[in-house]
Amino acid sequence: MKRILAIVVLSLAAAGAHAAAPVARIQAMLAKPDQLCGRFDQVKRLAGMKKPLASHGRFCVVAGKGVLWRTLKPFPNTLRLTRDEIVHLQGERVAMRLEASQEPTVRMINGVLFSLLAGDLGQLDSLFDVDGSIKGDSWKVSLKAKSAALARAVGAISLEGGAYVRSIQMSEESGDRTEIVFSEIKTGPGAVLPEEAAQL
Amino acid sequence: MILQRRLALAWAFIVCLLIGHNAWLWLGQRITPDTDILALLPLEKRDPVLQQSFTHMVDSAQQRVVVLVGARQWSAAGQAADAYRQVLAPHGELLRFDAMGDDTQAGWLASLQPHATLLVGSAQERQLRDEPARFWADAALARLYNAFSGPKLGAFRDDPFGLFAGWAQERAGETPVRPRDGRLFVAGEGREYVLLTYTLQQSAFSLGAQNAVVPLLEQAKAAARSAAPDAEVITAGVILHAAAAGRQASREIHTIGVGSLIGIVLLTWLTFRSVKPIGLILLAIGVGFLGALSVCWLLFGQIHLLTLVFGASLIGVAQDYGIYFLCHRLRAAPAVDSPSLLLRLLPGLGFTLLAAVIGYLGLALTPFPGLRHMAVFSALGLVFAWLTVVCWFPSLISSDTLTAGPLAQRYRGLVRHWPRLSGTPVSIGLVLLLAAAAIGGWLQLTANDDIRSLQSSPPALIQDQIKLSKLLDAPSPVQYFLVRGASSEQVLQREEALKRRLDSLTPDRHIAGYQALSNWVPSVRAQAARSALVEDKLLRADGPLALLAAEIEEDPQWVMDSAAHLRAQAKPMLVDDFLRTPAAEPWRHLWLGAIDDRGHQTHASIVALRGLRYASLPVLAGAADGIDGVQWVDKVGGISAVLGSYRATMGWVVLGAYAVVFAVLFPRYRGRTWRVLAPTAAASIITVALLGFGGQHLQLFHVLALMLLLGVGVDYGIFMQEESDGDDAPWLAVGLSAASTILSFGLLALSGTPALQAFGLTMLLGTALVWLFAPCFAVSRKVIHATPD
Repeated sequence: MKRILAIVVLSLAAAGAHAAAPVARIQAMLAKPDQLCGRFDQVKRLAGMKKPLASHGRFCVVAGKGVLWRTLKPFPNTLRLTRDEIVHLQGERVAMRLEASQEPTVRMINGVLFSLLAGDLGQLDSLFDVDGSIKGDSWKVSLKAKSAALARAVGAISLEGGAYVRSIQMSEESGDRTEIVFSEIKTGPGAVLPEEAAQL
Repeated sequence: MILQRRLALAWAFIVCLLIGHNAWLWLGQRITPDTDILALLPLEKRDPVLQQSFTHMVDSAQQRVVVLVGARQWSAAGQAADAYRQVLAPHGELLRFDAMGDDTQAGWLASLQPHATLLVGSAQERQLRDEPARFWADAALARLYNAFSGPKLGAFRDDPFGLFAGWAQERAGETPVRPRDGRLFVAGEGREYVLLTYTLQQSAFSLGAQNAVVPLLEQAKAAARSAAPDAEVITAGVILHAAAAGRQASREIHTIGVGSLIGIVLLTWLTFRSVKPIGLILLAIGVGFLGALSVCWLLFGQIHLLTLVFGASLIGVAQDYGIYFLCHRLRAAPAVDSPSLLLRLLPGLGFTLLAAVIGYLGLALTPFPGLRHMAVFSALGLVFAWLTVVCWFPSLISSDTLTAGPLAQRYRGLVRHWPRLSGTPVSIGLVLLLAAAAIGGWLQLTANDDIRSLQSSPPALIQDQIKLSKLLDAPSPVQYFLVRGASSEQVLQREEALKRRLDSLTPDRHIAGYQALSNWVPSVRAQAARSALVEDKLLRADGPLALLAAEIEEDPQWVMDSAAHLRAQAKPMLVDDFLRTPAAEPWRHLWLGAIDDRGHQTHASIVALRGLRYASLPVLAGAADGIDGVQWVDKVGGISAVLGSYRATMGWVVLGAYAVVFAVLFPRYRGRTWRVLAPTAAASIITVALLGFGGQHLQLFHVLALMLLLGVGVDYGIFMQEESDGDDAPWLAVGLSAASTILSFGLLALSGTPALQAFGLTMLLGTALVWLFAPCFAVSRKVIHATPD
């Protein structure tokens, strides 16, 4: 926590108090529970396709463990991101496994994703230019990748939320766009379902 | 007398020229000795393509300085790396930072996009053959619906089945280095490292560059450590090894040169109780050194530092002529004037020079340019020192200059009690005993020509090197496959055949992987096969695209559009096109391209190996058997083999030199010629036996020393056989010379450079033994006169 604060302080100094003040206040607004689960609804609009693709499922963000992203409809598939690996399960079958020992960027990817879902803006500061605004009890943040390579890979990201992140929008340079809305958010020890706890 | 004066004046003129030339070289031209260790290795001229591959691999590595700055936290590593860079930033004219542009990162895959459909990783290519359409439709669906579906390049429609992404992942797997926050990142052993690479703007072997760069790197390292206390800095580069070797050589020039001089000065003082002989011998040696340097520079235009180190040992031989003259002057009757004394000594002196020069010139028969320089340098030095003695000494030393010192007094009696070789049973028994011991020693002898046993880099440098290559998983620059063909297409096809063999070696961990240009640009044949495979398995009208369309409720038009879009990205790729893209930058050195191979054009490339285990070299050496145009290259093994074959050749050269020296000496010594050579021969045989008992592995430099020992030992043999007026002047000359030779070459045995150490040890043992043996073969005056001339 100290480190995160230190980075925030640094970013304050770098960007000037005026622009960065909202980011610090947004940080203060976020609840940042140890365990957080909920429902997501995702809509993708892809280049060359007429219809948007809708899906939904459950997600969990557990501090110190990682992220579980379970798409339930229309096709069950699970993505699990832990400190040392990214595993993609299609039903029961492991469709892809990326280990940190083989792919050094796994930890970075997982860190960014964890920060995104937890709304941990301080951690994103090193990779993105963070720009935020606050209206009442909700906030809005836009992230612009600092490096051209990252910009090409993830495009522009914007987040909206209050005590928790409520939605994420990603629009890639290729024209593909993704919108994810979070709901039914639960925190605390009961948030993670037993079957999810077994997978994490 | 007049002739003597003229000679002295003419020589004075020449010496003035030498001094002038040397002053101009050192002070005017500011020449610096060459420290390139590779200059000591033979040039492999036989195969231009192989030679080209060496320069390609070495050039891409030699001028690099690679630095890893690590810390527990990435942010701390970054700060330390910035501090490091800041120190070096103002010195761009020495070390250029190899900045990896952000545009390069973003652009490298974009440049491959037109060929994306043809780029499929090897695992997925197998799946393409085996898996049904449903598998690919599911894979596409998963990518379609998942928000964070792993590596993704471009839009979904550019790579619906994730094949291009998988291929890019496979390529990325060829190096553990990743871009991160505008830096290059490597992780390992609980630390995160920033990779910094610099290119030297001057040769890694330039002494000036070494003196400037090495302290700068130390300074930068200190700055990194003070920026982040737990920072670890690992540095590697040929320049560090070259600088360490240079430092060691110049340190040894001081110890060996100075030690040798002090020894000789002491000995001379104790023998002649005068400073004048010391000055005269130093004068002869000095003129020899200056003359050798001048002429070598005129001949070769360069001088190697190791030549100078070896030249320091020249003192050991160059002194013999002066000592021989001085010892005779000391013992000669005062009535005999110096010029006529010299005239009497001239034949013996001439033969010693001839024999020594033949001994040194044997070194010139080796294929090593450095050794050839050493041979010429030494032979010239001897000639110049000899001429100084002959032209100047008679004028400088008169009959009353010298008086015998304490050493000369006590030593003279020794020779009378020395055992002589004769036909008595005791004598024969001793010879047989020595012969048996020698045979025992020879049987213990093993040879080791491994070039790595000649390396003497400081352990810290080697540890850094090992750690760095482990973290970076860098391929070996000295062991690789060289692939040739009549066209670039044939080269790529042969690479692919080789890769199929190598793939079978990875599960047994003989190698971790390989780098090859065909990983990036498949041969036209492989591209056509893959295109057909993709067409058949993925793009068919009733294939996975149609299944996918049904799931996501898209119409047949979408299927056709998607297939057309993928086909549009299947543009055949050629090597030359790829080499022009930024993605090719790290791999360009693998492609040798068109090379003129003794009149006809050949295309060639390198397949580099990662994670190579030393124990697996024999397996790899046989891995390409039967594939046309593929050659296993092991430069370390190759050089070791050359060293080995020249060790054997030099052995014969030594034997040949004995025969030549015998032939040269025979007209003068006739039936006694064998007595001149016997002490040296016996000493050589027993020295080698002692090396065997000592557990030394015989290598080229031992044999080279035996060659030199012949030159030195024959001097003593000649001294002992030359007629003198019944006094002990020859014996005194032998003792004085041998003691100084042992001092100079004995100090070489202390050298940290294994080659010089082997050389020195052999000379130390050999010279001591020749000294001990020489009187055993001496004969009395009566015998000399009894021998028919």
